[in-house]
Amino acid sequence: MLTMAQQIETWPQTVAQFERLVEATQDDLVNFAFHQLGNQADAEDAVQDVYVQAYRDRVKRHHITEVRPYLFRMVRNRCTDLHRFWQRRIAEPITDGVASSEDIFSSVAAREQSQQLRRLLDSIPSREAEVIRLRAFSELSFAEIAIVVDRSVPTVKSRFRYGLDKLRHALSAEGGTR
Amino acid sequence: MNCQQATHRMTGLFDKEPTPEMDLVREHLANCPACRALFEEQQHAFEQVRQSSRVAASHQFGAKTMNAIANAAALETTSTGDFWHLQGWRRWAVAACATALFVFLLPLLPLHLGGGRSTPAFSVLAQSIEAMSDIQTIHMTGRMRTLPGDNFELIGTDYGFVPLEIWRQYNPSRWRVEKTGRAVVMDGQSSVLYIAKLNAYMKAPPQAGFVEWLRPLLNPESILQSELDSAKQTPSEVTESEADGTITLTVQRKAKGSFTNSWAMNKSIDESDHTCIYKFDSATKRLQSLQVAIHANGQDVTVLELNDIRYNQPLPVNIFALQLPAGAEQIPTVEEMPPAAAPIPGPKETAEYFFNALAREDMNAVRDVLPANPLLMELVKSKFGGLSILSIGEPFKSGNYGGYFVPYQVRLRDGSEKSFNLAVRNDNPQKRWTVDGGF
Repeated sequence: MLTMAQQIETWPQTVAQFERLVEATQDDLVNFAFHQLGNQADAEDAVQDVYVQAYRDRVKRHHITEVRPYLFRMVRNRCTDLHRFWQRRIAEPITDGVASSEDIFSSVAAREQSQQLRRLLDSIPSREAEVIRLRAFSELSFAEIAIVVDRSVPTVKSRFRYGLDKLRHALSAEGGTR
Repeated sequence: MNCQQATHRMTGLFDKEPTPEMDLVREHLANCPACRALFEEQQHAFEQVRQSSRVAASHQFGAKTMNAIANAAALETTSTGDFWHLQGWRRWAVAACATALFVFLLPLLPLHLGGGRSTPAFSVLAQSIEAMSDIQTIHMTGRMRTLPGDNFELIGTDYGFVPLEIWRQYNPSRWRVEKTGRAVVMDGQSSVLYIAKLNAYMKAPPQAGFVEWLRPLLNPESILQSELDSAKQTPSEVTESEADGTITLTVQRKAKGSFTNSWAMNKSIDESDHTCIYKFDSATKRLQSLQVAIHANGQDVTVLELNDIRYNQPLPVNIFALQLPAGAEQIPTVEEMPPAAAPIPGPKETAEYFFNALAREDMNAVRDVLPANPLLMELVKSKFGGLSILSIGEPFKSGNYGGYFVPYQVRLRDGSEKSFNLAVRNDNPQKRWTVDGGF
């Protein structure tokens, strides 16, 4: 049976349709942005910006059928823009900014885990880590990830394989494997 | 399949829906311990990534995001409407108000509509605005507890129902509101109010306030904006429910204004504790009906009902051209009144000036403070001419009224006495004190 997220096949055109889109995709997009940006508040801001942009551009995007990958692509681009902006503003782009008080307990634990994982993923080429993140966090297929990163499916699969091999070695070096 | 091919292709096993070709890879893994070990290590690494840290959107994220989207929707809607021909900064001010409304709505939702992720009332609001974008005409009929010849704001629990009808056209923007005894037509160039009992009319710019509380109904897309905007000023409660294809939005609100003196209490909807029940069609999100009840003296009394609302139907030809009867005279606006003999400094002095002039039957002096056509002057003279002033009290404010009420007691020429409150105001550009009613 298809999930709600999978059932979004055309770009929403009304507020009601966007409400369903937000409900169906918010967790995956915020999670993806969280691992790009390092804290929940920034992640939610970025994702919210993307949804609003998606609404504003709904007419010109009405022909798009791969809605979820395009949303991830928009989030990816937004996160990239934020990184660039932060790099211009401050030396350390990934801050330890906290989430809203309501979410602080869940996000602190997640952030600690994320930082450990980030360290490992940061040790491999970013484009390979990105594909692994997208496959791990977004439930997108390799074909859909190809849309997100604007590369061919074989390229995406290669990046995934090379990245996973490096990650496997890194985990092994840390004693993290069996 | 050899080990090199299997190693190269086993990535496919990590895809969302592995292809049939993967059966060959699985077969190889089943028979090759080395490749199987490699795959299991990859799988372990991937699962570590996958399970390591997953966050969900926060509790408020959905509502905040829908709020931001509705802001965008509102700005689109307001920037494409005609806004009563508002120009430049005024139009943007309206758009800004719409935005502010949605921003205001956000904190309201968890308090009154439950804290879940879904935002039903919010959605009704945004969708109803959106649904109005393709409306060309609206025709509403209903009834209101008021006096036929009095203003469109006046209500009273003791009054009977008076039929009310509203026609609205977009592009170009024109409307007509009518009840027994009064009609207002805005034809795009001006607003004209016709008062039957005086056979008189007033002409003013399109945005003139002849229809008072009913004005938001002329722009159904702004109904909820008005409701929630008002809620910023006074305590209110919004609830939403959906059943049988109808969304019901109930807004409870306290009376607006100051009631240190309760004179104006329950004399208009805004000046009453009241409940508005809006019903929207679930499918189209268009307003279907409106019922307003005020809470007065421990009772809920329905004072306004609009039960028949039709969209995009042809409207009668010439409905927006007010046919004035023969002999209809224009009531001057404050700006058009002849200059007063001398400036009057305040509300009490205005009342004294007015009644003294009536006592002398000096209608030229009455005209200094009362904007009126000759027929109204005649009626006033015949009823109040030659009166005796018994007392004039201290002015007070009440409710939402922009002017003052001045208590008075007079003895009329026929010997009867009348005690009431004269309404006077000077909230016009000239700051000229005029008599506004109450006699």
